[in-house]
Amino acid sequence: MAYTTFNRNEFDTFAQPMFFGEQVNVARYDQQKHKIFENLIEKQLSFFWRPEEVDLTNDRKDFLDLPAHEQHIFVSNLKYQTLLDSVQGRSPNVALLPVVSLPELETWIETWSFSETIHSRSYTHIVRNIVPNPAEIFDDITKNEYIVRRAISVTEYYDQFIELSNYYVQLGEGVHTVNGQTIDVNMHELKRRLYLTMVSVNVLEAIRFYVSFACSFAFAERAKMEGNAKIIKLIARDEALHLTGTQHILQIMARGKDDPEFAQIAQECRDDVERIFAEAAQQEKDWATYLFKDGSMIGLNADILSQYVEYITNQRISALGFDPIFPEVKNNPLPWINAWLNSDNVQVAPQEAEISSYLVGAIDSEVDTADFGDFDL
Amino acid sequence: MPNRQTDWPEEFDLDGQPATPEPDFELEIIEPEAAPEPDQAELYLPESNPEQPEASPQLPLSEEMQPPRYAVALQDGREVVFQHAASLLESLEAQGVDVHYQCRDGYCGSCRVQLQQGSVHYHKEPLAFIDEDEILPCCCIPKSALKIKL
Repeated sequence: MAYTTFNRNEFDTFAQPMFFGEQVNVARYDQQKHKIFENLIEKQLSFFWRPEEVDLTNDRKDFLDLPAHEQHIFVSNLKYQTLLDSVQGRSPNVALLPVVSLPELETWIETWSFSETIHSRSYTHIVRNIVPNPAEIFDDITKNEYIVRRAISVTEYYDQFIELSNYYVQLGEGVHTVNGQTIDVNMHELKRRLYLTMVSVNVLEAIRFYVSFACSFAFAERAKMEGNAKIIKLIARDEALHLTGTQHILQIMARGKDDPEFAQIAQECRDDVERIFAEAAQQEKDWATYLFKDGSMIGLNADILSQYVEYITNQRISALGFDPIFPEVKNNPLPWINAWLNSDNVQVAPQEAEISSYLVGAIDSEVDTADFGDFDL
Repeated sequence: MPNRQTDWPEEFDLDGQPATPEPDFELEIIEPEAAPEPDQAELYLPESNPEQPEASPQLPLSEEMQPPRYAVALQDGREVVFQHAASLLESLEAQGVDVHYQCRDGYCGSCRVQLQQGSVHYHKEPLAFIDEDEILPCCCIPKSALKIKL
């Protein structure tokens, strides 16, 4: 079962499951078992954007004017998002590509992960704009206790799966002795870890990002940090597509559409899924409390943000066919956020500057001489 | 081809403008009403009511081609009529039914509702995962009377 970069076996693509079937060979898209992944690739490519296209010159000034507790909110969220996208920019490739069996899914994973690297690049772009020394912010990500705590829960399922899958790729199924340790590689456990990894990725994309999104958009509602909000809007659009991708993978697994064993695993893991969602919601609420420890921001506080986390958790877990975890929360406590999460396609007048797909660098950074009227040396 | 010579005004002021008599009425300067500052939240939503075509006129339809007018019943007892909107989601919103939404483009799946009766036409292929008994109101219109559960 050693990994090969080009499987020379002949096999029927349509008989392959998503994962743990024949290793892929020709990257061909004329025959597709799950056409949805091709559609997702097309959509993701149509979303392509570059952070440098968004003008952030006004954000620097806005940031310096923010009170200290709001700077804390802004910078902490940026650090957390940097962590999330650092993980997502590599882990789908490392974890999933060695065991994928369908070319369209393989390419979707690569396209998906690549778009996360653009997000990471945009954080550097934002940080360079707001502070003279970006290292101050980036170096803290591995030191800050609150961020590290969340890094553990974000990566644990990935790491557990990769550990076992590495043994599987090298040694195949069976009980092996490696460096005096007994390693039991069995397919059921591998698939169980893969399923839980997909669930935790879905949680990452569908819930964990949204606390920071809410804060970024709340700043922009007050016309602060608008360039940043424009970038976050593009990131949120990508993340909505990624979560649809993981929902599709999870649902294809849960229905046993191409591998009946996954249907059984999904059934066994229902409690784990609920636990992963509930834990993530709790961690996000704790994060909201940490963000607002020195004071809230206008239009947002830890309470309302926690309600929003509960609302979005309900939405996302229902999409996987589970009952809502917080049945008492029925309505969106922050309805204005939807305007920022809304795709641009509903706009009918594309020449308007608010539409990011039309003019990406459209923040007005014009400075008039009258602005210096009260300026004296 | 008009005779250019005779088309010219006969008299000119010094600054080159034709001499015209002062108007015999008082000029009244009408200040344009200050446009309300748009809320950021409303920037991306349609301003007109999609179910009120009088407010947003469209070309008249022929006798044979009437707009698809279908009753949409909700499981909680509310009833609305789909008639002019571009999507079921817009129609529901215009009639005061709150549906969850995010992308309004078929890829996030936030607006998914359960279809209990009837059938819909997708004007855009939905990307989000939807179960066999579910629809995405943001990218479909009814093909028959519907019964849905939010």
